[in-house]
Amino acid sequence: MADLLEIGNGFLPLLYLALLADYAATFFLRTRTHARSPWLIAVVAAHLALLAARAAHVGYPPVTNTREVLSVLALATAGVYAYLELANRDRRTGVFVVLLAFLFQYTSSMLLAGHVAEPAEISPAAVSVWTRLHVVPALVAYTALALAGVYGALYLLEHRGLRQHRFGVLFDRLPPLDRLGPMAWHAMLTGFVAMTLAIAVTPLLMGAGQGHEMTARVIGKMVAGSVAWVVYAAAVLGRWLGQWPASRTSAIAVVGFVVVMALLVVSGLLPN
Amino acid sequence: MPELSVIGTSHKTAPVEVRERLALAPGQVAAVLAAMHAEKTFDEALVLSTCNRTEMYVVPRTGADPLACLLDHAARAKGAPPAADAGIFYRHDDAEAVDHLFRVAASLDSQIVGEHEILGQVKDAYRLAIEARTAGFLLNKLLHAAFRVGKRVRTETDLGRGSAGVPHAAVELARHIFSDLAGKTVLLVGAGQTAEAAARALLGCGADRLIVANRTLQRAEHLAADLARGPLGVCEIEDDGQAATCPEMVAQAGAEANAPQALVHRPKAEAIALDGLAEAVARADLVVSSTGSDEPVLTWAALAGPLARRDTPVLMIDIAVPRDVDERLGELASVYLYNIDDLDRLVERNLSRRRQEVPKAEAIVADEVEAFGRWLASRQVAPTIRLLQEHLAAIRQAQIERYGKRFCDADRGELEAFTRSMMGQVLHQPLSLLKDVAADASPGERLATVDLVRRLFGLDALDDDEP
Repeated sequence: MADLLEIGNGFLPLLYLALLADYAATFFLRTRTHARSPWLIAVVAAHLALLAARAAHVGYPPVTNTREVLSVLALATAGVYAYLELANRDRRTGVFVVLLAFLFQYTSSMLLAGHVAEPAEISPAAVSVWTRLHVVPALVAYTALALAGVYGALYLLEHRGLRQHRFGVLFDRLPPLDRLGPMAWHAMLTGFVAMTLAIAVTPLLMGAGQGHEMTARVIGKMVAGSVAWVVYAAAVLGRWLGQWPASRTSAIAVVGFVVVMALLVVSGLLPN
Repeated sequence: MPELSVIGTSHKTAPVEVRERLALAPGQVAAVLAAMHAEKTFDEALVLSTCNRTEMYVVPRTGADPLACLLDHAARAKGAPPAADAGIFYRHDDAEAVDHLFRVAASLDSQIVGEHEILGQVKDAYRLAIEARTAGFLLNKLLHAAFRVGKRVRTETDLGRGSAGVPHAAVELARHIFSDLAGKTVLLVGAGQTAEAAARALLGCGADRLIVANRTLQRAEHLAADLARGPLGVCEIEDDGQAATCPEMVAQAGAEANAPQALVHRPKAEAIALDGLAEAVARADLVVSSTGSDEPVLTWAALAGPLARRDTPVLMIDIAVPRDVDERLGELASVYLYNIDDLDRLVERNLSRRRQEVPKAEAIVADEVEAFGRWLASRQVAPTIRLLQEHLAAIRQAQIERYGKRFCDADRGELEAFTRSMMGQVLHQPLSLLKDVAADASPGERLATVDLVRRLFGLDALDDDEP
């Protein structure tokens, strides 16, 4: 089983890479832009199966450290995008989302290589109910904010191109602004709500004891989460009350996502 | 005598004032074909008449001159002889005629290469020939091959991608901002021809509200009513939103009740004077401006406030020279402002990319011409007779080898004679028929007979030259 998990861990980024090549062909060659593709669902299913097998082998859900969380993020990103593609029958933005999923999974696989089947050292706190109440919305938040970042970036690229009258490679290939803008906004709103839930549970998490201690890593994550929350709260309020244009909220979605990812990685490096 | 000929004139050989004297409306084409059918001038005939060409494809029966026939029938249909210098007509026979039709269907011979309309026009011409019963075996095969060529060029190349005119560039830009123009409001300021065409194109692609602003309210009302009544630009529902390029055909499509591409909806239209512009701009999603004013009519002072407060985008297309729209308005977050130079640049970019696709399209045409030529060659009598004889001889030999072992050597000779005689009897009638059509029948009849014999005896599976 351990060997199979190692092979699966090494093979999974290749599956995402093959998927990326397929979506890149769709984007640049403008073929099958509105076709249904079974490969994305197949890769998501394979990823889910691998994570389930690993969870069964090590005895806990694989979200106890940054390396594992990145793989779950890759799965969630690809899975949510699969739903969006099914609903909209538009594959034109797939190359950007699958690129993100590939980067998440590649990083995770590299960090886990050689240690996939080894259970991590986890404290009782890591498997407590309060932890799950925090981790699940946190993962939803990361996924949604990742998608908001992708669609926000695409919106800005097309918006700037149109305003500067640039008719380049992207001009013919991206969906219209009134699709990209709402996608970025809804993803950001979903991420913000989930982030709020995850942060709201934190005091209960710390108050529950069972090993939830104020280590440097925990403090780092709390600070990071708070900063990110303020940034996204400003965007949400600005959009609702100040009727901020889609270009401004998209810019915040991009910046916010980069900041969140950077803080996630940095906080993971802090001592526990 | 050639098996297939095309004669005609196009934008390449004649100016518009000559072409319009020869152009035939669908009703006139039907009358011409009916007359040809009654007079049996040609074995098969098809007339293609658009704003850029009038051509006739014929399978000759006698030594009739297609050009004289076309001019004569056109004069009768139009009620006046279309005086035309013979030098403006071209004629192609056989393989060149096939090549010409395929190039026409692929829009390689069009005034704007890659235009979408021509394939539909060829289909309409074919439909008229079917109804007039002047399309026979050869033209059926040829036209279906032409449709395949048009479709291949469209799907396998980017020849038709992107707008090729300023009005349709407006639609293309709008499609980059709005996924669906339904529910969107078009504001037309002024009354320039290009601006009107752009407004028609936007309305034809789904925008369903129209505001017309003009210096004089009466003029605005007249224009609003005219635009709302149609015809609208014909819009193909694709990402690049191509629209009709030929005003005459647009009018025709709008006039015909069952026009396949005319849209059903009619926009709600209103007219305003120029003093109501600020309020109208606040409501509009698409603004097309082309007045004759020396100063901007859409000014910063009047519009900066309302536009700054918008949270939905507005596409402003300023076709006028001098410009109608204050260029500072383009700096506002919700405004996408384009002038005539920008649209020309977009069109030129698209045309340049189309030109790069021409070799690919020509390769497809060459490929299909060759395939059709091979098929046509296979429908000649002599090769078919030879193939038929070889096929049945092979069957005979196979049966002899299979059953010959049951006969003694003495009887095997009888078996050979028996099978030879039986095959001769079976072949006698089809071979006689083939030799008769080779000698006496028209090209269309001959092709149809050869095709039937090939299908009856399964010769196509042996040859594999079906287009």
